[in-house]
Amino acid sequence: MLEIANVRAGYGAINILWDVSISVPTGQLTTIIGPNGAGKTTLLRAIMGLVPLSQGSIRLNGEPLDGSSTWSMLERGVAMIPEGRMIFKDMTIEENLMLGAFPKAQRASAQANCEKAYAMFPRLSERRTQLAGTLSGGEAQMLAMARGLMSDPKLLIIDEPSLGLAPVVVNELFEILARLKAEGRTIVLVEQNTHKAVGVADHVHLMQSGKVVLSKPAAEVSLEALHELYFAH
Amino acid sequence: MKMSKTGLAVIFAAYVLVPLLLGSNSYVMSLIVAAMIIGGIALAWALLGNLGGMVSFGHSAFFGVGAYVSAILTMKAGVPVLAAMLLGGVGAVVASLAMLPVLRLRGPYFALAILAYAHIFKILATEWTSVTGGSAGLASVPRFPTLMGFDLSSKTGSYLIVLSLLLVFIAAYRVIRSSHYGIALRAMHDSEDATRVVGVNSTLLKALMLFVSAFMTGVIGAFNVHYINFLEPDYAFSGLWVTLPIVAAIFGGYRTILGPLVGAVTVYLVDQLIFKNLIPSGHQLILGALLVAMIIFSPGGLMPLLRKGTRRKHAAA
Repeated sequence: MLEIANVRAGYGAINILWDVSISVPTGQLTTIIGPNGAGKTTLLRAIMGLVPLSQGSIRLNGEPLDGSSTWSMLERGVAMIPEGRMIFKDMTIEENLMLGAFPKAQRASAQANCEKAYAMFPRLSERRTQLAGTLSGGEAQMLAMARGLMSDPKLLIIDEPSLGLAPVVVNELFEILARLKAEGRTIVLVEQNTHKAVGVADHVHLMQSGKVVLSKPAAEVSLEALHELYFAH
Repeated sequence: MKMSKTGLAVIFAAYVLVPLLLGSNSYVMSLIVAAMIIGGIALAWALLGNLGGMVSFGHSAFFGVGAYVSAILTMKAGVPVLAAMLLGGVGAVVASLAMLPVLRLRGPYFALAILAYAHIFKILATEWTSVTGGSAGLASVPRFPTLMGFDLSSKTGSYLIVLSLLLVFIAAYRVIRSSHYGIALRAMHDSEDATRVVGVNSTLLKALMLFVSAFMTGVIGAFNVHYINFLEPDYAFSGLWVTLPIVAAIFGGYRTILGPLVGAVTVYLVDQLIFKNLIPSGHQLILGALLVAMIIFSPGGLMPLLRKGTRRKHAAA
């Protein structure tokens, strides 16, 4: 269980998150949706320790997560698939994947996890020696996902995976998310594609201007009501 | 470590053929040694600049500190020259400890801040007269010893020392580049945040690379002082000790191991043998123009250009 309680965070003098509280149950998919500038990415960055908290706490299974460094997150079983993929363009696909298992504890199982990733994303396997910069947007997103899975994380944090992708690829992507959920991983998904995100999620949170304005189980969410809130000012 | 046949042949030629064929011509030998000194710094610089994307203008500080530490240890504490050279490298690492805060900066800010740091060490060397001799410098710094009847302080002896240093550096560079840390360094070049997210302690990694690079540069600086037996602040901390290697490393090739070395030898020899004859003062001007041309026509440097040349020959044959 990931518990985000009363979190305030931002960039320097500009505060973005205003007392955000969200709890993410283990083994379920929690989606955070909201318009641009709502603070979704900032919240994920705060979980990963890329943005310091000025108030509140973030706990994973009771242990505080805030204050620990970004690079120690993998050892705690948390992996992030960042917005805009952030793949390493000048390196081959295989090198990108291997980097996903950088911490010493992960290196032993890196080869096995790499094969698993290739099984899940066959297109990457065909291109393993190509430079990542030559991939299409969809393939790059698959690579970012595969890299995130290299450390076999329990908690996956995924930031806008469908950004700029063709509908067919988006469908494929959400099938993979459903599979990851079925594997028993805890997932936090930030999305703009409300229809798809609510479809795959167990819990839905809507953020607006740095606050959580709606928290509901996915089954109780009506898309129309959600969209009304989404577009409200 | 795997080594190709050509690699072995080049090493053999460097150790045996060069001294045999050119050893008697002390002018050519001194040019080669000077080019290799530049090459050594270029390689150390490339470890940070080409591999990790940290462009440093401050390597003259490591060069100078290495030289001073080694010179002072041999002159005042009687440390043997070869041991003092290694300690010179250690001295440069200690100097780089002071530069750790600079690692928080990126890109041009890093480059400029480390340049400012380099200047601090030059001022130290000038003002700390009781130890460094101030701006008058240190004269008659001990030469290299005679080892098993072979005079290492001769041109050929010095050449063999710097050659061995370079080979060790190349080996170290290769090991680092192919390790997990090498991949992480290259990744950091793309996005530091993304490397942190995949579990790389990027701050520690940058610090370690700075230490390795400073050590290499310091050892080369120490080699140089025992080679020329004289030291003064303006010379030891001269900006040329960083600008020439940067030109060499960029000129030679991006992320290749041999690039900085090939670049250094080419740039230095061409500069000294041709440009200096054409324009006795200010001949570095042509180097600048050449670098610009290189960046426009072959951004990957000299190495890809050479490879392209051989490939064309193969195709023609």
